[in-house]
Amino acid sequence: MIQLSRNYSLPEREEEIIPIKVIGIGGAGSNALDRMVLDGLDKGDLIAANTDVQSLASSVAASKVQLGRGVTRGLGTGGDPQLGLDAATEAGDELRTACGEARLIFLCTGLGGGTGSGAAPVVAELARETGALVITFATMPFAFEGKRRAAQAQEALLELQKISSAVICFENDLMGDIVAPKAGIHQAFAAADVTISQSVRSIISLIQRPGLIRIGFDDLLAALRNSNSRCLFGYGESDSDNRPHDALTQALKNPLMDRGRMLSDATSVLVQVAGGPGMTLSEVEILMQELNRHISDDTQILFGTVVDGRMGNRLSVTIISSLAADGAVVSKPVFERPSAAPVPSPQAGPETKRSPAPELESQPAVEADTAPEAEPSPSPDEPGKFVPEAESAEPPPLVRPLQMIEATLNQPELADETPSEETDSIGDIAEVPEPAAMPQIVEQVREPEPQQPRVILPRKKTTPLKEPKPAENSVAKQEVLQFESVTRGRFEKSEPTIVEGQDLDVPTFLRKNVRVK
Amino acid sequence: MASSDLMVGLEIGTSKICVVVGEGRPDGTIKILGVGQAPSRGVRKGEIVDFETAMKCVHEAVVDAETKSDVMIRSVYVGVAGAHIQSFNNRGSVSLPEDRDEIDEQDIEDVKTNAREVSIPSQNAFLHSIIQHYHVDGQDGVLNPVGMLGERLEADFHIIHGVRTRIQNTIRCVKELPLDVEDVVFTALAAAQVVLTPHQKSLGALVIDIGGGTTDYILYVDGAVKQSGVLGVGGDHITNDISMGLRIPMTRAEKLKVEEGAVTLGNCLPGETVQLKDDSGFAGKEIERETLNTIIHLRLRETFELLKRKLEEEPFINYIGEGIFITGGCSHLKGIDHLAEEVFELPARVAHAQTMSGLTSAFENPQFSAAIGLIKYAQAVQVDRRPTGGIRRIFGKIFSGMR
Ligand SMILES: Nc1nc2c(ncn2[C@@H]2O[C@H](COP(=O)(O)OP(=O)(O)O)[C@@H](O)[C@H]2O)c(=O)[nH]1
Ligand SMILES: Nc1ncnc2c1ncn2[C@@H]1O[C@H](COP(=O)(O)OP(=O)(O)O)[C@@H](O)[C@H]1O
Ligand SMILES: [Mg+2]
Ligand SMILES: [Mg+2]
Repeated sequence: MIQLSRNYSLPEREEEIIPIKVIGIGGAGSNALDRMVLDGLDKGDLIAANTDVQSLASSVAASKVQLGRGVTRGLGTGGDPQLGLDAATEAGDELRTACGEARLIFLCTGLGGGTGSGAAPVVAELARETGALVITFATMPFAFEGKRRAAQAQEALLELQKISSAVICFENDLMGDIVAPKAGIHQAFAAADVTISQSVRSIISLIQRPGLIRIGFDDLLAALRNSNSRCLFGYGESDSDNRPHDALTQALKNPLMDRGRMLSDATSVLVQVAGGPGMTLSEVEILMQELNRHISDDTQILFGTVVDGRMGNRLSVTIISSLAADGAVVSKPVFERPSAAPVPSPQAGPETKRSPAPELESQPAVEADTAPEAEPSPSPDEPGKFVPEAESAEPPPLVRPLQMIEATLNQPELADETPSEETDSIGDIAEVPEPAAMPQIVEQVREPEPQQPRVILPRKKTTPLKEPKPAENSVAKQEVLQFESVTRGRFEKSEPTIVEGQDLDVPTFLRKNVRVK
Repeated sequence: MASSDLMVGLEIGTSKICVVVGEGRPDGTIKILGVGQAPSRGVRKGEIVDFETAMKCVHEAVVDAETKSDVMIRSVYVGVAGAHIQSFNNRGSVSLPEDRDEIDEQDIEDVKTNAREVSIPSQNAFLHSIIQHYHVDGQDGVLNPVGMLGERLEADFHIIHGVRTRIQNTIRCVKELPLDVEDVVFTALAAAQVVLTPHQKSLGALVIDIGGGTTDYILYVDGAVKQSGVLGVGGDHITNDISMGLRIPMTRAEKLKVEEGAVTLGNCLPGETVQLKDDSGFAGKEIERETLNTIIHLRLRETFELLKRKLEEEPFINYIGEGIFITGGCSHLKGIDHLAEEVFELPARVAHAQTMSGLTSAFENPQFSAAIGLIKYAQAVQVDRRPTGGIRRIFGKIFSGMR
């Protein structure tokens, strides 16, 4: 059982921002950076390093380092890691300067080619020498890319694991599973980029968002400690009426989580829960109790929460952990849970225990289709178990069959405009402007019985969804898996418009660094 | 009906395909008989990327035009755009043989050939060689030197060229329909024929056609084309920016742009929002109006600034007395003329085809400038073409009347 600390302290004074840099190495690395900018990361912190000047020119990163002015002369490496290594060595001074005073440096690269595989270990070394903590995000090539690439990638990965403080490794093959089988390779890469971006942003916010319970460098490293390890990473978010459950389900569904199965072997797990001011302690408790069933009793939990106004109605959970190398082959995801124990069902309705948020109580009772949900059962055909009703006078909970939790994958916008695009749902679309500020988390009457937690209803949408399919309504937002348009969006198929060294297909506001939200 | 005075213009735009059927009148005016349209698919940034799909759309537009004009279309003037299109100015010169001192047609031909004896990239082909001025024995301002006496003929040309395979792609798309291609015409040149009067051309003017995937421009000084080209940025970029900035699908972003978008900043009330309406059962999303306009503004300002810097590589922009004429679908965006005035520091206005009979007000729309301009171009060329024609030359056609 997890012991939650009760000693919440108020958010501290605005702490000094920890200087961070993200370095994208090679073509894949640079694409990942572009994605991060789209997702709102400040591009001032981004450095693109590449042998290929054309790719550098089109990168949105604020600083760019050309590798191998003499060795490769602006061309790529043609897949030769030795060239990549020489090129990075040649640019050593520039790389050091680019790292600057950063205390935390993320490296992003696609292993298997020449630049990433050859240069990333050199860059990691340099970055370590500046005294920074170095976290490497690397993708491993698809199987179909061939044995040579796989071998080059494997070799580079071993190097990186020796040098970096932590390596988070993404299998392209697993990422590929996220997209429809007939989707093109672009989409698979785009999916990988989204996941990488998500992970980097989560870790940055873990460290930088002023949390009620802070997570520091040391906690992070503890979770990632095993050198030569495989990283488990999951992120989920939801604004549904059962958002703790839905967010966690999403996080566990991440391909890098292997459906949560591998968590049971982890020695320590870092968990961060973030939400808007409406997030309640009970929600956090529900989430942690549910997560607890996926990890062993000996596992150390490093736990942090964050209240962030920008989260609005959403609640998110980030899970980071690592496994020692022996168990390291991540199998294909199979939906199979060690425990099929019923999830405590949130009791919705006006009678919910005294809440610190009076507005919530004045909300009408939940509609039937947003009623409490049951844990999905292991078999897709069999509906989940009903949850014992505690004190509910409410309509019986609808049971949500498993398959409904499947991610609703959006086709990216790249496709030619077909009428079906009209119905594309990009998650945010149903988002509703935030109503008046909600009270901060306040101590709750604690309910010791885990089967009957007190749940404060999350704030309800002010605009009702028009008769959504029940499935849609209950599916948590799948940010990690969701395709939004990649940087080029609609222009994926066309030749990039490069004028004055800028890629004009990238939105102007992004390149000019104008915040539009 | 004699088909010789029937002219058909076809613009394969990035967002729409437009076919205009016109009839030349003996008095030199043109009557528009019908305009066919179809949404364009398979075209990006003015170039065909999906051949089969684009062909279907062209076919659809042609059938529509045939129905509306009650004319059977056999051949067309096709507009081309795309960022591969480039231009430069060059002077050609020829010396007349010792035994002759009267300039003839062949000399005109030769001086043009001479002006083209500059290297363009090997994969490129000439699209237009537009005469600017003739000089006979150093004398300027000669309009038609044929029949004049002299020893040396020089001529300045504005030469437009582009990647051969891409231009051929467009031609092939039309030929497979099957339709004959009378000529391929750079779209901005076509648009200028209906957006500008000869008087405005002689006073100097810049035409900017901002379509779906490209911004095509052409600049006149002293009645002659001095600069022209294509920037691979257009309304799709605005839509894409909106889609990404507001995280809404492209189709909605497009709708939002067309229905609510504006270029001018600071005109909204604080907190003024647009309700993103929805017909497909989605909850509405509120969009801050100023945010929407900022995204549009930034893109268009950048586009104008890039264009300005490009034009300023040469001195001509300082001599456009009539200022700027903005046309193409994006010129519908409110405030675009003011933004252009601010960036270029020149008077600017939104313009569309005006000077044709039979043009119903529905087609007095900046989106149709290029397509209608193709007809006007065709008329000028047909007047100019010698009846003996012979083989039709699609690349590097020769005529002197078109400016
Ligand atoms: N996630 C992601 N991976 C990519 C992308 N492009 C390539 N990769 C992967 O990264 C590996 C290296 O490719 P690349 O970065 O282009 O080569 P390099 O520039 O020579 O390092 C490839 O074998 C792919 O598996 C991309 O856009 N996104
Ligand atoms: N009323 C309008 N307001 C803003 N933009 C418009 C409007 N009407 C059309 N557009 C935009 O103009 C572009 C199409 O212009 P058009 O000249 O027809 O292009 P093309 O010749 O490339 O097909 C599209 O990006 C479209 O969104
Ligand atoms: Mg590369
Ligand atoms: Mg056009």
